[in-house]
Amino acid sequence: MSHGGGRAPEAAIRARESRVVDGRDVTPAVGTRGEAGGWRRAINGARVGGFKPRFEDGRWSFLYRRDTRYAADAPDGQVAAAARRMRGGEDLPPEVRGPVIRPNVWTWEVPVYFWFGGIASGAAFAALGCEAVADERSARLARFVAVGAAGCGGPLLIMDLGRPERFLHMFRIFKTRSPMSTGAWCLMAFSNCGGAAVLADLLGWRRPRRALTAATAGFGTYLGSYTGVLLASTAVPSWNRSRGFLGPLFICTAAASGAAATRLAVSATGAPRDHPTRDGLAALESVAMAAELALSLVNERRLGIARRALEEGRPGRLLPLARALTVAGLALRGVARRGPRPLDQVPSVAFLAAALAYRLGWVAVGRTSALDHEAVAALARDSEQAL
Amino acid sequence: MTASAAPTEIAVHRYGGNGAPQRMGFFTDTTVCIGCKSCEVACKQWNDLPADTTDYGRRSFDYTGSLSATSWRHVHFVEIAAPTVGREDLDLVAAAQGQPLPEGGLDRWVFASDVCKHCTNAGCLDACPTGALIRTEFQSVIVQPDICNGCGYCVTACPFGVIDRDPYDGRAAKCTLCYDRLQDGMEPACAKACPTDSIQFGPYDELVERAKGRVAELHARGVDTAYLYGAGDDGADQIAGDLGAFFLLTEPPERFGLPANADSPIQQNVPVATAAGLAAGITAAASAVVSLLLAHRRGRR
Repeated sequence: MSHGGGRAPEAAIRARESRVVDGRDVTPAVGTRGEAGGWRRAINGARVGGFKPRFEDGRWSFLYRRDTRYAADAPDGQVAAAARRMRGGEDLPPEVRGPVIRPNVWTWEVPVYFWFGGIASGAAFAALGCEAVADERSARLARFVAVGAAGCGGPLLIMDLGRPERFLHMFRIFKTRSPMSTGAWCLMAFSNCGGAAVLADLLGWRRPRRALTAATAGFGTYLGSYTGVLLASTAVPSWNRSRGFLGPLFICTAAASGAAATRLAVSATGAPRDHPTRDGLAALESVAMAAELALSLVNERRLGIARRALEEGRPGRLLPLARALTVAGLALRGVARRGPRPLDQVPSVAFLAAALAYRLGWVAVGRTSALDHEAVAALARDSEQAL
Repeated sequence: MTASAAPTEIAVHRYGGNGAPQRMGFFTDTTVCIGCKSCEVACKQWNDLPADTTDYGRRSFDYTGSLSATSWRHVHFVEIAAPTVGREDLDLVAAAQGQPLPEGGLDRWVFASDVCKHCTNAGCLDACPTGALIRTEFQSVIVQPDICNGCGYCVTACPFGVIDRDPYDGRAAKCTLCYDRLQDGMEPACAKACPTDSIQFGPYDELVERAKGRVAELHARGVDTAYLYGAGDDGADQIAGDLGAFFLLTEPPERFGLPANADSPIQQNVPVATAAGLAAGITAAASAVVSLLLAHRRGRR
């Protein structure tokens, strides 16, 4: 359990002061966390003392008496105009009293899950490609990578919950509005579909295998991108303002890392160096990482004040590291065509590491961005950029 | 966990005169708030919430700091320094102990009791994957503690920083508009406790009418800066489709940690972000096929 704040402060008081006097429990009421405190009616169905129908006790106030001059008749439009005057425009007051929004409570499991989900999605694409060229051996490996990575993601997703034992509540409903819900269902569908494809392969069923591999890749298009959509659909400015980019960015790293993992698996199981699948996967990696680099540069350029959060603290270290690994990998790939043999695998490893650093960095942005009160407030004022 | 007995006779007064469910809400008039924090205390008492650790900042007497999983009401103390005095020059703790404040010192001291806004377009409600967050028959938004699995997505989806996941308990928690009290026809604990009726509770439409009248009255008395935050706006100016708990403020919203504009980030971004992501996903899958086809064609030659 990762939320672990340890033992709640009031638990110690309760433990220390707990006692029963003359048959009555006189333990101090130090509170219940996570929910409104429970109570019970002494007489079932009884009305509460002092009850007045239709909330009459709440609707009366000494303020509303005629002689208090509490309220006057408001002419049409006066109130709306006053609000526009005070909260319209771009100018912030001299002081922003934060916090405006709350930083995310997620721990390391979430970005690492995003990474595994990306690898799974990319490997599913690779499996589809290998099927297309009838390279059955590589397709098999790619399917293993996809199912294995998705299998690692599930437990991480459960560990991150505040109440891991309730993880099945994710499947209580299917909610198209919530990327967290659709994502959980997609991971489920992807894993089952990928597992069925592996099974069909073991049983030697050719047609179901190909259909299931294609379906897995189909779910993979969402599995790899929804994590970006999930971050973009929050109030955190740096994520929110990257709405059109986070999904594509995450897909790029997903495709690259999935291809890289598959390529390493294919190489490790003895495919010769000039095997065309290795070349094809290498090309996919490079194209995807180059696209990631280009997209992230464009995105950062248009983020405005929300860009600050990408440049300080943890993301300020992780994102440049990811970028450096990407550039190094791409450069090495250019050289390695002619270079010595062992260098051939280094770019794939670098891309996998870059993908992890990108995920860790982008999730860490949530914290720095949410705590940059001025930027949060300024972007809320900025109605132009809101669209 | 039974929060209250099953509602029985209550349905009689749960609805408006015509039988339709009625939206209930809060109108917090900050011009009559005296900063006594009895709403915070009443909330903690009624809902049996544990105490927070108190930690005085140097520049504010507000030690609650912000809303949290265990603080469902929070009275902002906003000390506004005179224009000639930098805020960093204020040391209010020292001032309380007898040290003089710098020349000019405090210009004004305003209070606002903050609470969950029970938005029409509620980000937390849109984000919740388990259905733990629901809208009640009073149009308030509540977390069902027996459903929430603590995924934490609502925390980032709230544009007001209200809902939070309790670090010890693991579930998300926030103001329920005293759902249990409403079911019994009683006003929420904070509104009941408020000694100046800064926190007013009632049917939403009645509250909005009264609040508009209050703004007009304040304008007539020369308080030009009075405005409503979260009600009475037209169309595009609305905050999250209008707030079930709205405020009368006399300072820019940022002084109270409120965003000038807000909406459910889910409703804003999910369609466009999903479209972009899926388009990129399909492109990536196609690229995988194309790159392998090309490589194999080259390999055969």
